[in-house]
Amino acid sequence: MKICSRCILPDTFPGIKFDEHGVCSHCADFKGIEALNEHKREYEKKFLDLVGQSREKGAYDCMIAYSGGKDSTYTLKVLKERYNLRILALTIDNGFISERAFKNMCSVSENLGVDHLIFRPRFDLMKKVFLKSSENDIYSKKTLERASTICTSCIGIVKFVTLKTAIEKSVPLIAYGWSPGQAPVQSSVMKVNPQLIRATQAATLGPLSKLVGDEVNAYFLTEDHFALADRFPHNVHPLAFLDYNEERIIKEIGQIGWEEPDDTDSNSTNCLLNAYANDVHIKRFGFHPYVWEIANMVRSGVMDREDGYKKIYGEQPSGLLTVAKKRLGI
Amino acid sequence: MRDEVRDFIFKNFLFDDSGDSLNDSDSFLEKGIIDSTGMLELVAFLEEKYGIRIEDDELVPENLDSVERLVQFISRKKVPS
Repeated sequence: MKICSRCILPDTFPGIKFDEHGVCSHCADFKGIEALNEHKREYEKKFLDLVGQSREKGAYDCMIAYSGGKDSTYTLKVLKERYNLRILALTIDNGFISERAFKNMCSVSENLGVDHLIFRPRFDLMKKVFLKSSENDIYSKKTLERASTICTSCIGIVKFVTLKTAIEKSVPLIAYGWSPGQAPVQSSVMKVNPQLIRATQAATLGPLSKLVGDEVNAYFLTEDHFALADRFPHNVHPLAFLDYNEERIIKEIGQIGWEEPDDTDSNSTNCLLNAYANDVHIKRFGFHPYVWEIANMVRSGVMDREDGYKKIYGEQPSGLLTVAKKRLGI
Repeated sequence: MRDEVRDFIFKNFLFDDSGDSLNDSDSFLEKGIIDSTGMLELVAFLEEKYGIRIEDDELVPENLDSVERLVQFISRKKVPS
């Protein structure tokens, strides 16, 4: 397998091309770190303006989709300590959260002094979602570049449950701990538009409910939510414009009680299903579902190429697939 | 501009040589070509390529959800009001 000499994208990645120096077309298209830093400054300012407008509007200034992993934990810490927001942390328990991650969530929310809500969708339905997602083509080619089918279904449910909860509770901001490689900085501060949400929900829910049944509709928005258009929040993902360094983040969140789990794969610090989701994706599509995200981080200078390479192509702890398969009943 | 937009969609969402066909009026979302994150990437591309600023209330399917709609939207944005 050929791998880009600058980032870590492989020749099996959809649509990729290489020049005579072995540099991939994604690196060739990259506008450079200075252009990115300019965007970061612009969006941090946009975020600060928004924070100023969002304070004291209701019981909470901000809701965070809290997985218990390092990135959402760090985002929560920054929002609380640096911006002094009144936060409701919301965890969607997909049935595969590592025991250590649960302990981390409890310690961190206690130490930071934030309210924490855990929503646990029924496991028989979630299991069906994961199994059907792993076997069927329900997502676009572009979607499959960025994440496994299992992760995409899971995060789809997380996003819509979080949005409907924010609307119901009149929370003006939703924060996500997307890493700087997961979503562009230009989308890091954005008003949720009801019309666009209606269209994207139809595109997500349609294929999913066909596979697992209408019971999954419970996790998505209803007409009652769309009728509350003035309550639609802003989405923010601050790690896109803040300084990001994995080692420093782990050290900082260690001070508020977070400990690195030893039962997850190299690309997750909370989910026991991730290793299986990655394995299925690699076998079906020929590339690692995290390679796009990690390559983005390597290209933009927030992760060393060697560290990124190890995350994607390095050896994974043994036994993770067995644990996930057993819980899925495979 | 139409060709540039089509090129971007084919290169980034259909991967050029995949043999997919796309009419200018086809909805990206309904055809499963672009998802919600893809929409945000599309916005980033339009802002950079055409030097425009897309406001929050302009992020609607009527402006973004087909080649035809994109071409009309960019044309409107590029004309100073």
